[in-house]
Parts: sequence; structure tokens; C-alpha cells
Amino acid sequence: MRDQVAAGTTRWRRFRRSRLAVWALVYVAAVCVIAAFAPLIASDSSPIVPFGPNSIDLARRLEPPDAIHRLGTDDLGRDVLARIIHGTRVSLSVGLMATAIALVVGSVLGALAGYYGGAADWIVSRLIEVVLCFPFLLLVLAIVALFRPSLLTIMIALGLTSWTTEARFVRAEFLRIRDMDFAQAARASGARDSRIIFRHLLPNALAPVLVSASFGVASAILIESALSFLGMGVPPPTASWGNILRTAELHIDYAWWLALFPGIAIFVTVAAFNIIGDRFRDALDPRAD
Amino acid sequence: MGSYVARRLLYGVLTFFGITIAVFVLLHSVPGDPIAFYVGTHGMGHLSRAALDALRHEHHLDRPLAEQYLWWVRGVFTLDFGRSIVDHRPVFDRILEKLPNTIELNVIAFLLSAALGVPIGLWSATRSGRPAERASAVLFFLLYSLPSFWVALLLMQFFSVKLGVLPLLGMTSDNYLEFGALQKLIDHGRHLVLPVITLSYAQMAIFARFSKSAVTEVIRQDYITTARAKGAGPGLVLWRHAFRNALIPLITLLGLTIPYLLSGSIIVEQIFQWDGIGRLYFDSILSRDYATVLALTVITAVATLVASLLSDMLYALADPRIRFEDNPR
Repeated sequence: MRDQVAAGTTRWRRFRRSRLAVWALVYVAAVCVIAAFAPLIASDSSPIVPFGPNSIDLARRLEPPDAIHRLGTDDLGRDVLARIIHGTRVSLSVGLMATAIALVVGSVLGALAGYYGGAADWIVSRLIEVVLCFPFLLLVLAIVALFRPSLLTIMIALGLTSWTTEARFVRAEFLRIRDMDFAQAARASGARDSRIIFRHLLPNALAPVLVSASFGVASAILIESALSFLGMGVPPPTASWGNILRTAELHIDYAWWLALFPGIAIFVTVAAFNIIGDRFRDALDPRAD
Repeated sequence: MGSYVARRLLYGVLTFFGITIAVFVLLHSVPGDPIAFYVGTHGMGHLSRAALDALRHEHHLDRPLAEQYLWWVRGVFTLDFGRSIVDHRPVFDRILEKLPNTIELNVIAFLLSAALGVPIGLWSATRSGRPAERASAVLFFLLYSLPSFWVALLLMQFFSVKLGVLPLLGMTSDNYLEFGALQKLIDHGRHLVLPVITLSYAQMAIFARFSKSAVTEVIRQDYITTARAKGAGPGLVLWRHAFRNALIPLITLLGLTIPYLLSGSIIVEQIFQWDGIGRLYFDSILSRDYATVLALTVITAVATLVASLLSDMLYALADPRIRFEDNPR
């Protein structure tokens, strides 16, 4: 236990070495706060952003940024800033939930393959090969479109198609640690397989998986916004970053603010999760010191 | 080598059946009857029950699921994917018609990103740790996080709307047919610029990153030190000794690139209204054209499978350690 804490501190120290990664972490925390309090920050009665995400004002359609609408309005006169603030909820919940599903599916399959080897390993490996053959967006698009676009469908579709990296990491870790002393000891003291896998081995195999989880959140946010942009995402009028960009495409000859600001939101958020994952990977790499 | 190839091929066949079963089950677990949908959208509500049943029979939709699958897989082998429910033409013909447009776009994007990405990767491997290299690493990382549809929107807004130097949409201008041969070429080339940029910037970042880590790995090896000790200059070491060995892992990138490019194609073709299979796929999903969706999904997945098999074999051919190490337990 103490060893684990020590290892954790070392990793954190290594992580902190990159100032960019720390800023990325601060940014992600801030976005989480914004998402949690979005209804308080941006609503018709809020002092901070005095517009709700769906407050329509037909008299002020497609207005460029000014003192009242700081990031302009869309084609129904809705405040772009308010919609971006509420859009954080869609992006974060899809990113986190899809990754959580991928994490569970990938960990369980990877654990079974790595622990039992043999037939289990063979089946899981073939399954991974099959999933990897599909162009990712193609498959997600098909699932989402055919089962009707909704927040839930998107989360499930993304989760069920992106677990392969997690599975491979967990499998490799299990192969490495399944015969170590602590696992042998658990086995000798009569623990059942399920207990050894989930209580003893899995917690020790999760560190590298967190790296891929961070990348996973980034790619899930990216794909969700692409789906919304293509009209296959969260159905309107729900505010999502991709939905705003979809409106921007219709008014491309004029409304630059519609394209610029939500795009920056997607880009910075995706980059933040990628930077955190990248830094985390380096911090875990024993060759780094 | 023989047994390695045989095993990879056998797994390839298994994967092929895995792909087809997965796609088939997925599409047929979707709620809603494609015939009913078709009738609804084409204003054919007046069709009699018998006519509907005939339509259903023609597409084998009245058979048990397992039999439908066998019908369909048999068709896959003979490149007969059935007829589209949209215009009753053979699905394979519809795909062949659009395929060249997608291939053109992707081949140009692939060559461009490789031609730019690999030299940049080599350059940064030799300057590892210096400020310029670090800055470029972060830059490429950020490039990779840019949503391609956003980049496309900004490019369109800047080059087509604001400056008006490049066309906004499509593959050719409206009066294309009146042009002479050279004019046609120029016109088409101008339409290619923005889609190609959108498709290749992230790919280039991947190439740069991958070739950098491959060369960095090689540079650590003893024989590089030996070559340096013998007095070979830095350029000679990089090109003759390091790069040639770093090419081997780059082969694997080939197999990984194809699905990535195809995913990108859907977005790019949709935005720029490029008449390729990405757009066809999207339209087919919207109109619930099961036959076309099935065919395109399977064709792209099998193309990926073949590419990864080929790159595995090239890899084994180039690096004997793989085929001897990779024995089944």
C-alpha cells in the first residue's frame, strides 16, 4: 500500500513537470464546474450570462458579438455564449460516459483474456481484430442513425466501438502480473477467480488504462461534435457544440462567430484531454527518469 | 515464413466472417421495416399487400435471418450486393460509380501527408529535446486535436467566402463541360485544394509522430553508435542506417491509415459535397438503404483487413524476428 502511494506521488511529480499539462488539468476542472452549474450561469434570470440556451429573440437574429450578446446570436436569436455553456454538458457527459462504458467492457474482456489465456484469449483477440477493421466513424454513424440519435445512443455506440485499446492494455498487464507473488498468495489462500481478478489484479492493472481513457474522452468529444454537426447527434433544440456548428454551415457566407467560438470550445477541450493523456503516459513510463 | 503466412490468412478468413456477421446482426436488430419506410417516403401507400410482399420477397426479407445472411454472404463473394432500395440499381454499380472520386481524394491526401509528415518526423528525431523540436511536437499534438469539420468551415469561410479564390463546394464548376481540357484540369484541381487540406493535416501529424518515434527507437541501437564510431557523417547515418530500419514500423501505419482516411472521408465529402462513397454512405443511412449500407460497411472493413494482412506480411518479410518470435503458445 505504501509503495502504491509512493508510486502515485512520483507519477504526480513527473506529471507536474509539464506546465502545459497542469493548465490542461485546471481547464478540464473549470469546464466540469461550468457544466455542473450551467443552469445557474446562463439563464434568463442569471446575472452572469442573462440568457437561457433556448431563449429565442427573433428581433435579434444572427447578430455579431456586441456588449449584450458577447459571442453573438444564432439564426433564432439565441445567445451563442449561453448555448456554448450549456453545450459543455453534452460534450462532457458523452465523453465521460462513453469512456466509462469502453473502460468496463475493455477491462472485463482484457482481464478474462489475460487471466485465463487459451481459448478466452483467442476469442477476445479475434473480437478485437474484427472491431478494428471497421472505420470507426462509419460504424458509430450507422449505429446512431439506425437506432435514432439521442444522448444515450451516442454514448452506447461510442462505448461499444472504442474498448479495444483498453482491452489490449488490461490484457497485457494481466499477463505480466497474474503469476506475481501477491496473486499466487491470493490463490493459495483459496480466493475465487472472480475475487482474484477484480480485487487483486484489476486495481493493479488500471494505471495504463487511465492513459487510454484520457485519449478516449478526447476522441469521444470529437466524434460527438462531428455527429451533431452531421445532424446525427443530440437532437435540437438541445444546445451542443456540434449543433451550433451545423447552424454555422448554413450561414457560412456571413456569420463567422457561429463557426469560430464553438469550434474553439471543442478544440481546446479535446486538446486538453489529449495533453493530459500524453503527459500521463510519460509519467507512467519508467524509462522517463 | 510459410506457417506464419498461413496462420495470418486463416485468421483473416475468420475475421472476414466476423465482420460480415457483426454488420448483418447490427443492421437487422434495428427497429423498423425497410420496406415500410421505403413505401412511406416514396408516396407508395397505395401499393397492395401482395405488391409489398413481392418487394419483400425480391430482397429476401421474408426468409429467416440465418438464411438472409447466407444469401447475402454468397452475394459478397460474387460482388453481388443486391439492388438498392432507392433506385433499384445494383448496389455494386452504384458504389463503383462513386469509388474513383473517393480514391482520388484519399490517395492525394495520403501522399501529401506522407511527403510532409515523414521528413518532419525525421527532422525532429535528430533534434530531440531542443526547443524547436519541442515546440513542433506540441504544435502537431494540437493539430491532431482540431475537429476536421471545423477546419473545413474556417477554410471555406476564409478562402471561398472572404477571399473568393477557391470554390466553396462540389468537384467541378457549373460550366465545367464548356471548358477545354486544360481548363478542366485546373478547375478540378482548384476544387481539390480545400478537401485535401482538411483530410491531410491530421494525417500528416500522425505520420510525423510515428516516424519520429520509429527513428528515435533506431537511433538508440548499438549499430548506429558503431556507424558513428566508424566516422560516418550525420546525414549518412540518418539516411543509410537509421531511416531504412525505421521504415519497417512505418509499414504498419499503412494498415492503420485506411480506416482513418475513410472515416475522414465521410465528414469531408459531406461538407464539400464531394460525390464519393462517403456521401453515398451518409445518404444511404438517411434513406435506410440497407443493401448499400451493408455493402459499403463490408467493403471498407474488408479493405482494412486486406491492408492490415498485407502490412503484417511485409513486416514479417522485412523483419525476420517477427515470424520466428510470433509462435503460438
